[in-house]
Order: sequence, then structure tokens, then C-alpha cells
Amino acid sequence: MLDLRIPVGGYFLLNGLVLIVAWLIGATPSDQLMSVAVNIWVGVPMIVFGVAMLALARRSKS
Amino acid sequence: MKLQAVDYAVLVLYFGFVLAIGWQLRRKVRTANEFLTSGRSVPVWIASIAFLAANLGAQELVGMAASGAKYGIMTAHFYWIGAIPAMLFVGVFMMPFYYGSRARSVPEYLRLRFDEKTRAFNAMTFAVMTVFSSGISMYALGLLLKAVLGWSFTASVVVAALIVLAYTLLGGLTSAIYNEVLQFLLILFGFAPLAILAVKAAGGWQTLATRLPEAMTHLWKPADAAIHNPMGVEVFGLVAGLGFVLSFGYWCTDYLVIQRAMAANSMDAARRAPVLATFPKMLFPFIVIVPGIAAVVLASKGVGYSLPLKAGGGYDYDQVLMTLMGQFYPSGMLGVGLAGLMASFMSGMAGNVTAFNTVFTYDIYQAHIRRDAPDHHYLMVGRAATVLGIGLSVAAAYLAQRYNNIMDLLQLVFGFVNAPLFATFLLGMFWKRTTGHGAFFGLLAGTTAAAVTHGLTTAEGKGAWMAALHQFPSTMAQNFWIAIAAWSVCFVTTITVSVLTKARPEEELRGLVYSLTDRIPAGSQPWYARPKVLGTIAIAVLITLNVWFW
Repeated sequence: MLDLRIPVGGYFLLNGLVLIVAWLIGATPSDQLMSVAVNIWVGVPMIVFGVAMLALARRSKS
Repeated sequence: MKLQAVDYAVLVLYFGFVLAIGWQLRRKVRTANEFLTSGRSVPVWIASIAFLAANLGAQELVGMAASGAKYGIMTAHFYWIGAIPAMLFVGVFMMPFYYGSRARSVPEYLRLRFDEKTRAFNAMTFAVMTVFSSGISMYALGLLLKAVLGWSFTASVVVAALIVLAYTLLGGLTSAIYNEVLQFLLILFGFAPLAILAVKAAGGWQTLATRLPEAMTHLWKPADAAIHNPMGVEVFGLVAGLGFVLSFGYWCTDYLVIQRAMAANSMDAARRAPVLATFPKMLFPFIVIVPGIAAVVLASKGVGYSLPLKAGGGYDYDQVLMTLMGQFYPSGMLGVGLAGLMASFMSGMAGNVTAFNTVFTYDIYQAHIRRDAPDHHYLMVGRAATVLGIGLSVAAAYLAQRYNNIMDLLQLVFGFVNAPLFATFLLGMFWKRTTGHGAFFGLLAGTTAAAVTHGLTTAEGKGAWMAALHQFPSTMAQNFWIAIAAWSVCFVTTITVSVLTKARPEEELRGLVYSLTDRIPAGSQPWYARPKVLGTIAIAVLITLNVWFW
């Protein structure tokens, strides 16, 4: 049976990386309520969560 | 709102993973049971999250933000009093009968406990309701994406439907459930930041509370009289109508959610799934309702945000969530928010479709069309029912687009059908004397009572197609009282008819009725993992939240 933590972990790791890219290439928005740093604030937790899921799946396998 | 390449990348990544999970699980589907009910193989944490996610459709997310802007924190009643007690009840007291009996679905439990006609009544109404509700939510999504992003209605509806079709056909219920976990987490990552940003920009919760009328920031204070709150409801209608009849009627009898718990890999897991799900459920108002409340304050502060307007005048509250995203999220996060919206839509739709195909195959096809076919035949029927369910949903979405009034009518009819159900289950599970005739005629009488109550009362110009005997301050209050009437009539009729008809021998009711079923031993689980202990903790948190926002 598929260990769900592997695709979930992989997904959020990749999605977090895409957000980091979005932060790097993002121009300063003209709207005063918007900040491009949101990408980092969500992207980094996504990467941490994704890696944690992958680590848990790996640990229970061995 | 304009999407950049990076937003599309986020969307494509999400679609890719959803399909990949379905593809990975395709080998698991060898029998009809594995396809339709997951062969009771799902671990507890997955079943628990799926229990929540299947209910968390796009309409709910969009609608809760809208209600937050319209009614304030009182909207949280739909989560706290309107879900938590019922979720605990189904896990602790009812799951032993659903999971412990040989039933594969909720209608099938009615067949085992009562008779064929009660099952047929429930199965038919449920099948029709799931198809139409997934159609309505598809319509709402198509409309929203068209209004905010300019996407074509047909393109967004068809693409979303095809993806759901692909992964449910590949891996059956297991695939739907596994994807619901991914979708649920994505909804959290996509929406929680919005709540934080919106409240922060509005000046924090304290500022929010001072800038809004008291009725929008309190749960119970404005509920002493209908005129004191924008919902137009009072305490009794709220507690009895929403907190008891509608909430228990949905969470304890609707196969859409029960199916998730019934797919768990043990009785213990099946009971704990809804109980554990109450904890995230309790926190959801902060993510889905609070942004709507913050939007009202933001609009009044003149910081560049204004509430979306309808073409014909007035506020278009349904667009609040999307316009907030457009205001706060830069490219990248905007894609995540949109993927979260898509995820909620898909989890709701897959929930409807996987419940529909099971009820269709087992409770309609196998019960009435072909009884003793080999298993692979039912597997084939289950797959065909999946395609049929999605096809009918798309058709319903187009029907809704053409005839707007049909939706009002359908939602009204659903209310009639759902309201009395909990009386039937409550009596069936906890009173061994309840008979099949009692259950059937009770349901019929309850449904009729709902229609009659609607025909005799009016609210906001709706109802009273027979005579206007009473006027409610709002349609919400009217709905709550229709539910109360339906439930009470069903309860009394079921008891009366049961007493007058012949009881079934007790031997046949073992495992189906409380007094004739052996208690489940507390077992080897540590004390903190027992459903009753977890349930007590959940109630304590629930009370704290209610006192906090009193």
C-alpha cells in the first residue's frame, strides 16, 4: 500500500521551491497591501513540512 | 486579477500530483469492494482528514467567507454548535453500528435494521441529492472563476470534472480519500495565510472588534432575540434547528462523510476518525470566516480594498474571498490560493461521486436490478456509475446556469429530505422496538411536515405557497424551524407506527441496536486515545471557544 506521506511530502517540497522562485523573480507590487515576502513566509514552512513528511516515511520504512 | 507563469506552475504541479496518486493506487482496485468502499484499509489519520475534507467543498469556503462578511462571527455556529457535537456523537455512539454491522453503506444499514422500502427511500433521495449538490458546487466554481479570472465556464467545469473522473476511476474510494488529505493540507496552506494577513492589515482582532457592531463579533449575546442579529435567529431555533436537527441529520446520517470513517482499517480507527476530526474542524472558522469579517473592516479603512459589488447593486459577498486573495497574494501565493480553491472543489466533488457510485451500485443496482452477479460485474457497474455521476453533475451545473430558480427549489427540497432523517436513525439504533413500517412512514410524514411548514410560513418573501400563517425574520430562521417541525413529526410518527406494528425478533437485531449489542471493550489503547476521552477534551475546547466569543 502506498505510503501517503511520500507524495504529500514531495508535493509540498516542490511547491515550496516554486514559491521561493516566485519570491526571487517577483517585482515589488504596486498594491500597498501586497508583499512579495508572503511567498517566503509560506514557501519555507511548506519545504520544512514536506521534508518532515519524507523523513517520517523513510524512517518507518527502515 | 492576472495570473503569471509561476501561478500556472503551481496549478499544474497540483493537478500532476493528484493524478499521480490515483495512478499509484490503480493496482489496489481488484474487487468491487476495494473500488467502492476501499476494502476497509485506510489508516486512522487519513480517514479522519478525509472525513473533514469531503465536506469542505469550494461552495463552503466561498460561502463561509461571504457569511463572515454578512453576519460576522455568528457564522461560526455552523462549525461549533452545528458540527462538533454531532461529529462526536457519530464517532462515539453510532459508528459501532455502522462499522460493526455488515452494512457497506448507510442505506444498507437501513435495510439491515428496517426493510427494503426504507432503504430504497434513503438511497434514491441520497443519489439524487449528491448529483445535484456536486452540480451546484461546480456551477458556483465555474461562475467564480469566470467573474474573477475571466476563464470560460465550460473550460473550468470540464477540466475540473475530468481530473476528478480520472483519479476516482483509477483508484476508487482509496484514491479519493488519499487525495482528500493532500487537498486538505493545500487548503490550509492556501487559506490560512490570507486570514493572518487580512486581520493584520485590519489592525488586529481588538481593532476589528471595536470597529464592528457588537452583533458581528459575538456568538450568543446577539442571539437573545432575532432582531438583535443580522441572521434573524434566536437561541431556540439556533440550538434545536441548527445544533440538533440539521447538524446531527447531516454528520450522523449522510453517507458522504460516514463513508470516510467506514473505510478505516479497524473499528477503533472508524470511531476515532470523526472524533479526531473535530479538533481541526473547530479551528476552521479562524481560517474561513475571519477573512470575511476582516474584509468589512478593511473596506471601511480606505486602504485600497473595497467590498466587491454586484452588477445590479448591493455587495457580492461570494467574491470576498477571491478579491482578498487578489489584494494580498503576490504571484506564486496567488497560484497556491487558487490551487487551494480547486482542491476544495475537487475534494467536495470526489466525495459526492464516490458516495454516489457506492449507493448506486449496492443500494439501487444490486438491490433492485441484478442481485446475484459475479463480483467483477459490480466492479464494472461501480466504474460506470462513477462516469454517470460525473456526467450528471456536469449536466446539473449547466441546468443551474440556465435556470437559476431551479437551484433555490432544489436546495429547499434537500432540506425537506434531510431534516427528519436523524429521528429515524436515533430511534433505529437506540430503541429496539422501532419497526420498518414505523421508520418508513415516519420519514414520509417528516418530509411532508417540512413541505407543509414551508407552505404555511413566509420569510424574505419566500414560502407560504399554501397560506401565510406565520412570518419568520429570515429564511435562515425559517429553515431551522422547518427542520424542527420535520424532525418532531418524524419522531412521533415513527414511535406511533412502531408501537402499532409487529416488532422484529430480537435475534435479528443483534449488532444493529444499542441494547442488543455487546459493549466494545476499552481494549489495549492508551487512555488518551479512547474516543470518549478525546470527545471530552473536544467538548472542553468547544465550551472555551464559545465563552471566549460569547
